[in-house]
This record gives sequence, C-alpha cells and structure tokens, in this order.
Amino acid sequence: MLQFILRRVAQLVLVVFSVTFLTFASLNLVGDPLFNIVGVLSGIPDEQCEAVARGEIEDTQSSGLNMGDCALIAQAKEQNNLDKNVVERYGIWLTDMVSGDFGTSFVNGSEISDIVKDRLPVTVRLIVLAQVVALGIAIPWGVASAYRANRGFDKVSTVGSFGLLSIPNFALGVILLYFFTLRWQIFPSRYENQGWWSELKALTLPAFTLGLGLAATYQRLLRTDLITTLQDDFIHMARAKGMTDRHIMYRHALRPSLFSVVTVFGVNTGALIGGALVVEQIFSIPGVGTELVEAVLRNDPPVVVALISVVAVGFVLINFFVDLLYGYLDPRVRAT
Amino acid sequence: MTETIADPVADADPVGNAADAVEKKLGVGFWAAVGWLGVLVVTVLLAPLLPFDDPRKVAANPARLGPSLDHWFGTDALGRDVFARTVYGARVSLVVGFIAIAFGMVVGGSLGLVAGYFRGRIDQLISFVFFTLLSFPSLILALLITTTFDRTLRTVSLTLGVLAVAPVGRLARATTLVFAEREFVAAARVVGAKHFRIITRELLPVVLIPMAALALLGMGVAIVAEGGLAFLQLSVEDISWGVIINDGRGIRDLQENPHVALMPISVMFLTILALNFAGDRVRDYFDVRETAF
Repeated sequence: MLQFILRRVAQLVLVVFSVTFLTFASLNLVGDPLFNIVGVLSGIPDEQCEAVARGEIEDTQSSGLNMGDCALIAQAKEQNNLDKNVVERYGIWLTDMVSGDFGTSFVNGSEISDIVKDRLPVTVRLIVLAQVVALGIAIPWGVASAYRANRGFDKVSTVGSFGLLSIPNFALGVILLYFFTLRWQIFPSRYENQGWWSELKALTLPAFTLGLGLAATYQRLLRTDLITTLQDDFIHMARAKGMTDRHIMYRHALRPSLFSVVTVFGVNTGALIGGALVVEQIFSIPGVGTELVEAVLRNDPPVVVALISVVAVGFVLINFFVDLLYGYLDPRVRAT
Repeated sequence: MTETIADPVADADPVGNAADAVEKKLGVGFWAAVGWLGVLVVTVLLAPLLPFDDPRKVAANPARLGPSLDHWFGTDALGRDVFARTVYGARVSLVVGFIAIAFGMVVGGSLGLVAGYFRGRIDQLISFVFFTLLSFPSLILALLITTTFDRTLRTVSLTLGVLAVAPVGRLARATTLVFAEREFVAAARVVGAKHFRIITRELLPVVLIPMAALALLGMGVAIVAEGGLAFLQLSVEDISWGVIINDGRGIRDLQENPHVALMPISVMFLTILALNFAGDRVRDYFDVRETAF
C-alpha cells in the first residue's frame, strides 16, 4: 500500500507540474502580455529603448517616443517579471502561487486571490450539489432497475438513461430554464445569495442540468454491478433468511456494488467542472466559469492562468484521492 | 474504467442480451440512426443547392416568426430563417466532430498501438502523456487552446482532436496489449515480419473495430464539446449548432419564441442520440467489450 501511495504521489507531482506549466507557457508564449499592461506602447522596439538607456537617443517626441515611455515599459516589465524567460517566470509564478499570492489582474489590478476566494466557493457548491442530485437519483434508480433486470421498468429506464446521455448539458440547461423559470416560474431567473435558501433555489436548476446526465451514467454502472452482486451467494443467504427485498438491496447489495461509481466519481468531477463553466453562463451564476470567460474576453492572462491552474490542480487532486480510495477498497488496483 | 466521459454508454446491456443474442443483428434502431445521419449529411452537402434562405442575412424576414410552412423553424430575433441556420450550423458541427475524431483516431491510435506493442519505456512515456491530457478537465484544455490561438474552424477542430487523443489512445493501447500476446502475432514474428508490418497488417485491423465504435461515440462528444465552447463564445466564428442555440437562449428570446433555441436543440439531440446508438450497436455487434476495459 505504501509503495502504491508513493508512486501515486510521484505521479501527482509530475502531473501538477506539467499541467501548470502547460497552462502558464501557452498563455505566456503566444500573444504579448506586455500589450495588456501598456497597450500600444508595447509596440516600441526594444532596440530603441536600449538606445535610450545608453544615452544615444533621447526619450522625446522626435525619436518616436514620449517622455518616459521607456521608463514605463521597463517598470511594467520589472513588476511582472516580463524581462525574464518563461521558465524563470514560471518558477517565480509557481512559488507565488504556492504561497497564496496569485498576482494581480493586468486589466483592473484586482487581487486574483480575492477573485478566487469570491468565485470558487460558488462553483464548488454547484458541483457538490450536482453530485448530490446525481447520486440521489442514480442510487434508487439503479436499485429499482437492477431489482427486476430486463423487465418493464428496467427497459424503460434504459431508454431513458440513453436519452439523458444524449442531451448536451447546455441544451438541457436551456430546456430547464425555459420550462421551470420562464413558463412555470418555479425558480428565480437570476442568482441571488441572501442566505442559503435563496442560493439553494438559484442553484437547483443548474445542479439538475449537470446532475441528470451524470445520474444516467451512475445508474448504468450501478445497475451492471448490482446485477453481478445479486448473483452472489451471500444474497441467496440473506434471501433464505427471509429478509425483505428492500433490506437486501440497500443493506447488502448496494455497498459492494458501488466500486464502479466510486471510480468514475473523480473523472466525472472533471467533466462537471467543464460543464459548470457552461451552465454558469446559462443561469448567470457568478462562479469561476463566468469569471474565466470574462477574463478571456478582456484578455487578462494572469487571471486566466490562475483560474485554470486552480481548477486543473483541484481536478488532479480529486482524482488522486479517488485513486487512493479505490486502491484502499480494491487491492487489485494497487498492482497497476 | 476512465472511459466513461468519452463513451457514456460503455456498459450498455451488460448482462441482458448477451445471453439471448445468439443471432446477432444490428437491428432496426441502428439503421434508423444511420438513416437519420445519412439524411443529415445529404442535406448538409446539398444545402447550397436547396432553396434555403441565406442563414447569415439579417432582416431577410420579419423577426420572431413562429414556425410555418415558409419557415419551418420560424425566424429569430434578427429575421434569419432558423431552419436554414440549423442546416448550415450542421455543416460546421459535423465537420468539427468529424475532423476532431479523425485526428484523435490517427494520432491517438498510432500512439496507442506503438505503446501497446513495444511496451517498456515508450509505453511509460506515452501513457504519461495520455494521463496528463486526461488530467485536464477537457473543456478547460479546449478553452486554453482556443484562447491561445484563434477560433478558426481548423483550430477548433484540431483542439477537440487533441482532446480525443487520450481516450482513443488508451483504448488502442489496451486493445493492442491484449492482441499482441495472441498467436497470430507471434506467428507473424516467427515468419520474420518487421515491427511496422506487424503493427499495420496484424494489429491495426483488430484494434480498428473497437475504435470504430468509440469513434461514433466520440464524434457525438466532440459535437457537444464544440457547442459548449460556443456557449463560452470561444468556438468557431461561424454558424454552428452551439452558436445558434446560444443565440436563442436569451430570456426574451425564450419567452417570445422558444423554437429558436428548442428546434436546433431537438436536431442536435437526435443527432447525438443517433451517434451514441450506432456506436453502441457496433460495439455490441462485434462484441468488443472485453477489450474496452
């Protein structure tokens, strides 16, 4: 077990490095971050400023520069470490990140750590709620369809889950928004956070949007595993002892049948993160997704890098813990 | 195990029909699905010849018309014909889906074959690349690429293609691992076949079957992913299904003429359903579950 954990930790470290570096490099190699701070001034060629620094030409209108332009550029480069190469900048950035300093936005100068603190909890709550919805639907649904496999209810629910898996989450979001908010006006049309009740109401539809498709995924896995479990001897034993079907299904069969669901739980959390970004747009929820899109649109690389890294590292960590949990539950996994 | 995202219907019919499916058939459903996809492709190809309105021309018709014989899906807030837009949107969506999965098949398939065949260090390296790719929430990775580069059809398609590399590659690797041990490969080796020949002539054909099923499912995933990007306004700067649905999802649009969003949603839903169903049937038909984890 220890060896298994160590190997996974090594893997985790490598993946975190590659994920963050990829994010950082892609947004810093392409495009010109300097442009985002000083605007058109970034177009001034470096040689010209070097010449100014050497005192060969003057920093005046006649040289194509305004007073202090070069100083301004130098200051911006200095502040954001833009004069160093990407690897060095990545090092500095990563050290800052780890110590909780996410830097400031290029565009409006706000602290990125504040943005994360502000936005992340909303998205996390949405994702947790979506998982709750998914499991809350999938467990009774899976049990009910495995109870009499290949009979009426099971056949209908196979068609149903197939259909659910074929609806893109944004399409489902639009449909739910149309019926539940606009037609029947059951849920509020805008996000409010005045106490947990108003937030819960605002997050219910988005959570169902994300959770329904997931519920179908879980239901199918659970059904498969349950059908296998139900053929085990201990189930016959329980039945022979005269236990009720409900008791057998929920108390005996359910737990050993949850392996597959546990495995995909982590992976699907990643899918949920992606889905949450889109669904937040539809329901105008001020989470990481909306902020990310805003940051992309206003061309704010530090914010984009920070948010993507936070999300990606979170995802890697979730999968790491799910892996460990799974290795703990099922010894066979440790070998791979 | 981790294939769940890329193929949502992996476990279809785990016990049920396996027993009574003595005589294998693709079934009516499969041909209905193929039929729908066929109609869609033909309509899309013939779109310029058919008497559709210009899908991009603003104020070609009165705004916000309901569905009628002249405008099957009605018109949107700018007076554009929604049916024409849906057809032209299908062009982009299908092309993106197709290129993405083709890219994933070629790159991921080759890497998976090589990793599964040679094993050792090459396998470790390639598997690590797959693992890293899968460590990104997929939409985030797509977002990263489209913001870094541009939003042309080519970039978006290839971006989604990159996302397809890891799931396809893992499947190809797992399948190759199984078959590389079989007698026919050993026989080819004994006869003196070179690695390249064994991979392309012996292994590729058997690996291709489960990949074909995954390709159908994956095309659906890619089309959905493109729609997701469109909702984040980070997809192709042209008409695609995602773009149309996103255009029609404003509160006012939904209140006054919901068909602007709901019609393309239905078409998209049917298409994804058809792809999923066809992929599922192909998988069952060739009974490749043993290799797909």
